[in-house]
Parts: sequence; structure tokens; C-alpha cells
Amino acid sequence: MFSAGSASSAVCSLVAIAQEFSPRYERHRDDLVSIDVSGLTRLLGPARSIGEELRREAAARGVRAHVAVAGTRMAAVLIALASPGLTVIANGEEASALAPLPLALLEKYEVRSTKYESRSDREESAAAARTSDFVLRTSKKWGLRTLGDLASLPTADLVARLGHPAREWQAIARGEDIRPLVPLLEEERFEASLDLEWPIADLEPMSFVLTRLLEPLSTRLERRDRGAAVLHILLRLVTRETTARRLELPSPMRDVRALRTLALLDLEAHPAEAAIDRVTIVIDPTPGRVVQHTLYTRAQPTPEQLSTLLARLGALMGTDRFGAPASVDTDRPGAFAMTPFATEHEGKSRDARAERGEHVGQSPVPSPQSLLSALRRCRQPVPARVAIVDGRPVRVTTDRRGFPGGAVTHCAGPWKTSGEWWVEKSEVRSTKYEGGGSGGSGDSGDGGDRTALSRTSDFVLRTSTPSTPSTRSSPWDRDEWDVSLSDGAVYRVFRDRHADCWFIDAIVD
Amino acid sequence: MALARADLESLLRVRQLDRTLTTALPQVDPGDERALAPSGISALDARMGGGFPRGQLSELVGLRSSGRTSVLLQTMAAATARGELVALVDALDMLDVGSAAAAGVDLDRLLWIRGHIVTNQGLCRELNQRAIEQAIRAFTLVLQAGNFGLVVFDVAEAPADTVRRLPFTTWLRLQRMVEGSQTACILVGGEPMARSSAGLTLRLTAAADTPSAHGRAGHKFGAKLFDGLEVQARIVRARAREQEEAGVALSTSA
Repeated sequence: MFSAGSASSAVCSLVAIAQEFSPRYERHRDDLVSIDVSGLTRLLGPARSIGEELRREAAARGVRAHVAVAGTRMAAVLIALASPGLTVIANGEEASALAPLPLALLEKYEVRSTKYESRSDREESAAAARTSDFVLRTSKKWGLRTLGDLASLPTADLVARLGHPAREWQAIARGEDIRPLVPLLEEERFEASLDLEWPIADLEPMSFVLTRLLEPLSTRLERRDRGAAVLHILLRLVTRETTARRLELPSPMRDVRALRTLALLDLEAHPAEAAIDRVTIVIDPTPGRVVQHTLYTRAQPTPEQLSTLLARLGALMGTDRFGAPASVDTDRPGAFAMTPFATEHEGKSRDARAERGEHVGQSPVPSPQSLLSALRRCRQPVPARVAIVDGRPVRVTTDRRGFPGGAVTHCAGPWKTSGEWWVEKSEVRSTKYEGGGSGGSGDSGDGGDRTALSRTSDFVLRTSTPSTPSTRSSPWDRDEWDVSLSDGAVYRVFRDRHADCWFIDAIVD
Repeated sequence: MALARADLESLLRVRQLDRTLTTALPQVDPGDERALAPSGISALDARMGGGFPRGQLSELVGLRSSGRTSVLLQTMAAATARGELVALVDALDMLDVGSAAAAGVDLDRLLWIRGHIVTNQGLCRELNQRAIEQAIRAFTLVLQAGNFGLVVFDVAEAPADTVRRLPFTTWLRLQRMVEGSQTACILVGGEPMARSSAGLTLRLTAAADTPSAHGRAGHKFGAKLFDGLEVQARIVRARAREQEEAGVALSTSA
């Protein structure tokens, strides 16, 4: 079917017309569509009736269409390009019907040779265009004027002179199909809905509903070799409002249990405001992961297992209380950042071991006996009272249970450290001691603003969670000491030079 | 390279192809290097028979400044260097990221779970008890997910009475969860909490015969600097009902 008009709306109309008649149709160009009408004879009658029906439908949609019905798709396409109105070619007469048509007709048709299927679309089009141009120019030089002239040439001699693409052009000139019809597939929508007889407000019955909706979706995803990238949950409430939840999955997955668990955890964290009477699930698909299993490396948690674990930890601890730590580029003592824990580590493991020159399964060489002393950081520095003699601490005591303190048996220091002095005091937020998390970054800081520090008892009572003193940069200026106390422990203590207060910052362990 | 039977069965369980396996748990061959998680400290690994046993609860105990964290971070670094994922349930949120990075821990492979602990107990004693229980639940979730190479439960600075108030069945349940898996579990505390019969306890103490003239025994102070700790590590195995008379001497450097 060929649209004689040039309106862009004809594109959609041709496709819409094709959809009305058959699910097997191919769009060659914006104005050219071929439809497999085999099987419609029982419904619409002979080929001419089918053609007339197509024209009527096109006219009803305001499209001037040239329709050709033939035994082969290629013959029908060429006839539709050449002849206006309706043309019906009997089976077996395609070559004779095409013979008188001008050779220039082939220039109107873009040939996608099966030979170039492995190349990219752009390369394929360019290669096909060069080939067709060469063949057609050469044919014209030889004095060929019609498709019949080209079709009547001996094939072997033609290929010997113009190459293998000439064989395909000759087949087209004879009205032979050089490749099968490639139907245009509609984008499949992975969606399922369920209207509930009785509204539900709890999560337990929701688990059964989600399972019922997810199982057929999972089957369809598996058939299409797709995984779910985003899960949309639409809940219609009894109040006629619709609540939508969107879950971005860390990796493509289609396991029903994993999807259901993640959905339930999300709904548990964000409960609906009213009872639910309709549940709709929409999945945004993505190509599935290609995983090559191997028995020679240690098993690791799958992305689905890690996703479920992280969701459960988020529900239990809060989303800001777990992750992968990261160092930050600062001299601030104890500074760190929290990053999301990745769910894919397989490829990174292989790459890392390859960089070290290790073979799969080879264990790395253990490190020498000497260890580095590690610190245990007090996320909220412990206020301390330090007695100083001759500029050196001689006794450290605190009111904190678990930090009895004692006499200083030996000490090393001081080391003066300071930084971010360029941050204006007015830019520093007040110390947050209640609620909140560390967000995306955290640092131990040096104890917060002076007002709270001067009232030690108030500082202690107001502290409710070990949250970071400040979520923004703040200057620090301190003298640090390593002290060994009579209680048998070694501490890192510091004196805040601005507040002139002492704190226990870390334990050397 | 020979595949350990336990490793193969674990892989089959992951792929849900274990229907033909017997329900009896595999006996771990102590000589099988894949049944152990080396700590990365050669002298210590030699005394432990290769490392911490997988599929068992082991302990790393000692007083403050006895080198627990140093040994722990080295063990975590060795695990991440092997390509394993490590989970740290830090009940009191005391991990120093700088120390971990300096020890060689691959931070991208470390899942750090930070507990909520109230720094001043006082009226908040119950809050800390609930925080420890929450940490136990997080620990349970990690073990249920499975296939972590090393899972650490760190309550080293928690008050002893808080940990003792946990039901004894807690550790039995956790042992059942980790049994037969390729996960090495280490409980870090001030005193022994619970350990499986096949696990081991690594008890760290400050070395009493530190030659340094400065500082308390076990603490090395130079003329102006703190130089590190001298640690004595003793290995206790429940099955053999023996405790090594002479432990392993370790030294940390600042």
C-alpha cells in the first residue's frame, strides 16, 4: 500500500489501516507499507475485494492510497509504487506484470539486503545505497530501460560483471521476495491490574495480590528475555485517589519473590492513606542480564539477594545507616562518606584480580606479620576533663560510662591540626543532636558549637543519636595527643582550641 | 585446581540445584584451604590452621587497646583482596574509615551497617539494649542473604551486661544459619559471647614483656611518637578443649 500524499499524518494512517487488516505488516518507508493478507480471503473474499476494502478504509481516513495485491510482497510493492489506484496481479504473473515497468522504479525502493544484516543501520543503509546506485547506473549504461530487460539477462554473467548484489536486484525485477516480511511489533506493555472485591488495608493480603499480578508478568518477561528495570505500583484507594510508588531496581530482575519482597518493603515504609480496592503493576522492561556462571570462583550474593537485603536493612535501620564507606579528600580527622552498596561485584572482582596478575581461584599472598594500628572512632567525641602539668596531660577523666579514665602513664603529642578555617562561622549550621541521619556524608567533627560544649551536662542530655555534628563543612582547630592511661587503654584525645575543651576522639585498638 | 566439595555444594544451593544433595551437613576438612578464611597475618594463620573456619561462629575478644580492631581490619582486608564481600554490623558505629582504608580494605566490597547507640546511657539504658537487638536483627538479615565471604558482628565497646542480656538461643540460631555455608562469622567483643563448637576464639592481650622502656606493657611509645601495640594472641578451640600455652606475638605500627 503506497500513500500518494506527503502528509506526515499519512504515516500513522497507513500503519493504523494495516493494523486493522492484519498483525503482520511491515513499514518500509513513511509512505509505504506492505501487509500480509494471506488468510483474509475467508473474511473479505478474493484479492480484488481485499484491495477494494483497503482503498475504502484509506479513503475513509483521508489517505490517497495506491494499493497492489500480488503473490509476492516485492511485486506488490513495485506495482503500488508504479500504478495508481488498485492493481491485482494473479499468482505466477508477477514477472510479466513487472516487465514493462521502468528500471528507474527501483530507485524509489530502498533495498535492505540480507547480506548486511550484521552491520549497523547507518552502515547498512549507506552500503545498500552505494550498491543500488552502482547497479542502476551500470544498467542504464548498458541500455536497459525496464525491469523486464534486467530480469531477462543471464544471472551468472550479470553477477560476474556487477557482483552479487546484482543477483538481488534481478530477483526484485522478477518480483521475487529476497527476504521474508519483518512484521512491525508493537511495544509490549507489561501491565496487570486487579480489582479487589473487598478493600484491603494490611500488607499481608497485599502479598497475595502482588504474587497474583507478578507471576504472569514474570512469565511474559521471561518469554521476551526481559527483566524489570522499574516497578510501578498504582494503588486506587477507596477515597478514589490513586497512590503511585516507583521502585527503581538496581539490576534487571524478574524473580517473583524478589519483586514481591521489594514491593512489600516499599509499601511498608510508605503505607497507603486508605484502604485499597484496585492494584495495578506496570513494569518498565529492559534486556535481561547476561550472566555466565562459573564453578571456579566463589559464589557471591546475586543482585536480587543484595537488593532484597538492602531493602530489608533500610526498613530496619533506616536508609542512611548502611552502605559502602568511602574516603573523602580532606584532612578532617575521621571524615568519611557513605555511598550506596553496589549490587554487582562479579565483573569488578575479575577485573581487580586481572590487574593484580592473579589467575582465577588463586588466593592473594598474605601480608607480613606487622599490622597497622587501627582506631575505633567515637562518632560523638566524649567530653573529658584533662589535668595538665608542664603542658602535658597527666590525668584524663570523663563522666561517660565505659570511659573511666585514669592517670596518664605516657603520652605523645601534641599534633596541631586545623582546617576549613575559610568557612565563615555564619555558614555553619547549629549542631544537630536530635534525629536525622548522616545523609550522604559524615564526619566526626570536633564537638559542635561552643554554647553546647560549655554546658557539659546539657550537651550530654541532649545527645540522642550519634548523628554527625554538622552536615556542612565547619572549621576545626585542635591539638591531638596519644595517651596511654592506667586503665590499660590508649586513646586519641584532643583539645579544641576554640572552645578550650578536651575530648576523647578515638581508641587505639 | 581441585574444587572443595563444600564449595561445590554451596554453589549448587545458590543455583537451587541441590535436590540431589543429602540433608546432612558436609564435614569441613581442616586441611581444605577453602574451608578457612585466612586473616592475612601469616603467623596467626599458621597457628589457626589456615584461618577462621567458614560456616562457623568464631570470636575475636580482648580488652580495649588489645589489637582487636587491627587484627579485624587486616582480616577484612584479606577477605576483600580475595574478591569476597564483607559485611560489618557495627553495633556502636565505631569504624574508622581511614584505618580501614590504610589496612587495605576494599571499601567498595564492604557493607557497613551502623548501629544506633545512645552515647549517654543514664535513662537510655533500654535504648541501648534495643540497639543491640536491632544489630542482631541486621546480622540475621545478612546471614540470611548468604554468600558473604566474611560477616563481622562488632560489639567490642558495648557494656558487657548489655550483651549478656541477649538470650543464649540467639547464638544457637545464628550458628544454625551460618552452618554449611562459605561464610566466616566473627564476633568481636570484650569477652567471649558465644562460639560454635567448630569455631575458635582468638583472645588478644597486651604483651607483658614489651622491651620498650616507655609506656605501659604492650604500648610502644618512642621518644615523641606512639609507635604501636605489642599484642599476644591465643587461640582457643572448643572441640580440642585446649588453649594454646604460648600464643602468637603480633606487633602493630602506628
